[in-house]
Amino acid sequence: MSDTAFTGLILLAGALFAVGCFGVLARRAILVQLLSLEIALSGPALAFIVAGARHGQAAGQGMFVLILVLAAAEVALGLALYLRLRRRSDVTDSDTLRELRH
Amino acid sequence: MFGIVWTTDLLLLTIPSIALTGFMLLGLDPLRLRAFEIRVLAILGGVGPLIPMLVFATECFHGSCIGAVPIFTLVVGESTVALALQLDPLSALVGLTVSIIGAAVILYSVAYMAGTALGDLRRFFALMHLFLAAMLTMVLAGDSIVLFLGWEMMGLCSYLLIAYNTTSAQAIRAGRKAFIMTRFADAMLLAALLLLFLEANSVRLDALIPAGVAAQDGMRPIIAALLLGGAIGKSAQLPLHTWLPSAMAGPTPVSALLHSATMVAAGAVLLIRFAPILAAEPLLQALTAILGAATALFGAASALVQQDVKRLLAYSSISQIGTMMLSIGVGAPQAAAAHFVVHAIFKSLLFLAAGDIAHHSPQGTALAALRGARQRKPLAFLAFLAGAASLAGLPVITAGWWSKEAMLAAVWSAGPILWVVALATAVLTAAYATRAALVAAQPAPAAEAAQDDSSDTGYTLFPLAFLGFGALLAGGLVNPIIRFLGGDMPHAPAFTLAVAAIAPIAGAVLALALAPGAADTPMPAARTGGRRASVVDRVLRVLVIQPFVRLVRWVNGQDGGVEDPVGTGPARLVVWLRRTLAGPTAPDRADRLYKRAFVLPFLQLVRRLNGYGSGVVDPLGNLPARAVLRLQRALADALAPDWIDRWWRRIGAALLSIWTSARRLQTGRVRDHGLAMVAGTAGLLLLAWGYSWH
Repeated sequence: MSDTAFTGLILLAGALFAVGCFGVLARRAILVQLLSLEIALSGPALAFIVAGARHGQAAGQGMFVLILVLAAAEVALGLALYLRLRRRSDVTDSDTLRELRH
Repeated sequence: MFGIVWTTDLLLLTIPSIALTGFMLLGLDPLRLRAFEIRVLAILGGVGPLIPMLVFATECFHGSCIGAVPIFTLVVGESTVALALQLDPLSALVGLTVSIIGAAVILYSVAYMAGTALGDLRRFFALMHLFLAAMLTMVLAGDSIVLFLGWEMMGLCSYLLIAYNTTSAQAIRAGRKAFIMTRFADAMLLAALLLLFLEANSVRLDALIPAGVAAQDGMRPIIAALLLGGAIGKSAQLPLHTWLPSAMAGPTPVSALLHSATMVAAGAVLLIRFAPILAAEPLLQALTAILGAATALFGAASALVQQDVKRLLAYSSISQIGTMMLSIGVGAPQAAAAHFVVHAIFKSLLFLAAGDIAHHSPQGTALAALRGARQRKPLAFLAFLAGAASLAGLPVITAGWWSKEAMLAAVWSAGPILWVVALATAVLTAAYATRAALVAAQPAPAAEAAQDDSSDTGYTLFPLAFLGFGALLAGGLVNPIIRFLGGDMPHAPAFTLAVAAIAPIAGAVLALALAPGAADTPMPAARTGGRRASVVDRVLRVLVIQPFVRLVRWVNGQDGGVEDPVGTGPARLVVWLRRTLAGPTAPDRADRLYKRAFVLPFLQLVRRLNGYGSGVVDPLGNLPARAVLRLQRALADALAPDWIDRWWRRIGAALLSIWTSARRLQTGRVRDHGLAMVAGTAGLLLLAWGYSWH
């Protein structure tokens, strides 16, 4: 892998993460925040793949699998909570959920 | 490194995959399916795994088991994560049993669940398929990861299927209870598997088990104990047994497949699989045997006093799996495996037959709902009799006798005390099996005689007939199974065989004596499983029954736990026993004990941490501030406050206000917390960057 390709891909990974982070912080709809989290997770995943390819090691792909599982678990939990909130009290705005704080 | 080598052995994957496909089509597919299509899919997914399983198992029975089939291998450092399936004699045997029972139960449930709404029907079959896939995965697993995956999926399906009836609060409670209690045991299994991984540096079972046996540094007893803990939770053995009777809130096919024949017995299968590790630890082996014996006796005694047929069968499963554990504990896992097969056949048969008889009955699943079975459902009645005879272990003609005999012989060689306990269990088992059969043989009250005109279909008849013949004839398989698994048929002196042969008959006679009205109405021979009132029987009647006639009145007298007219000591003892073992309506004593010992203290702890009732919001978060105030008061108020004291007291007050303003940071908004996390991470990164700057 050439240095330019490596730099470009790492930049892309960083950009993905930044976009995702921005989405989580700027949007208030829970569903969109979940979507943004997925985008944010894909950034480090790409970085792991790129780094693994750069060093010729399988550990990067292993970490990718881990992130995949993590993302799946996060979406499953997040969507279940979202549906529950939606049905229980028709909440879609994450800012209204402040009662969890004591 | 990754690598997949394509061979025909990978077809082993099809066995769980077919059921899994059934689950995905039924459970996840957004298409609308009609009842007919759901039924076709249910049968395809339920019976499908049997076909490849049959092929592979036949190959294995002929001596060429394909062994481990690697699926996916990842080498990280010096450890290897190697996912694999494996087909060795044990997994072939158990896998075949599971897929046969699964196919029979799913066929049966096509007819049983016919009246349910489409959505529920779809959910039911999807979950049954998922369970089947999970169980087959667990049985065929060649490494600890796949094994644990299957194990946990079974637990999840068990929870979802117990709570299948989502409108019933009782069913949901029962599901939650089963989930939490088995989770407790699953954690122990996970710990055992992780410790084994540390010993072996590999997850493959063929490396794990020798490494576990060779473990020297004091780890082996811990691993063996954790494995035992995992097994007793899943198999509902003595300290953790209470979830199984309440799990009967699920539909009857679920009880037949999960909570008697296959999943509950998975604990025994696990211990058979890891038997070498257990065999290397004599102390834990003895513990297994003692726990198994105690559970067997307790389960049989509890089953004797149940008023509900499903709870009776649940306690019977607990007891029968206890005998398997006993057999594993005395070093005869092969005999336990043979009994696993036989028990799976007759117990699923009993559940299916009882479900067929009592379906739509106004009495629900009460034992009384079985009455009149001979007129209403002759075939189901015959099947129930065959299952009960096999459960009782009537000599020679039933399969249950052969496997029980093998286990009793193995137990005899280990110690006479355990053997006596096992024998007492056999007597009690025969007694409660006969009791259930006698109730089924009673004519129905005239008021109910006309109800239930639903005709039997092939979906019901075929599984019942097949399992019924199996329950009677599978005895011939016991010896081959034990040899196939590499064990020897246990031998015992002839007199123990004779005593063991008398045990079921004695139990049956006991039940005849206990049965209401047994003394005055003669019991037709055919109804009680093929015994005739011979001379021996009559002698036994005089010698055994007469002393038991009073017991009849005590235990079964008013059929509803009404106080006995005889207020003497023994009568009180029997009433106490009945209340202790199983209150017919109130929750079991063990349940109440667990609730007081574990559930309520936990709830109280959580409430206290939440500040429930104490008037203080967030007592734990307030702790630092309160500690500061108390310190200040204790130190400063004891002395005369001068200007120094005033000065440092102000620091205390400032601390309080700092705490209050710091608490304001905690807004509870996701976005604020997210921003804080991002800023914190960025700060840490900057710090790291600064330190590594050259």
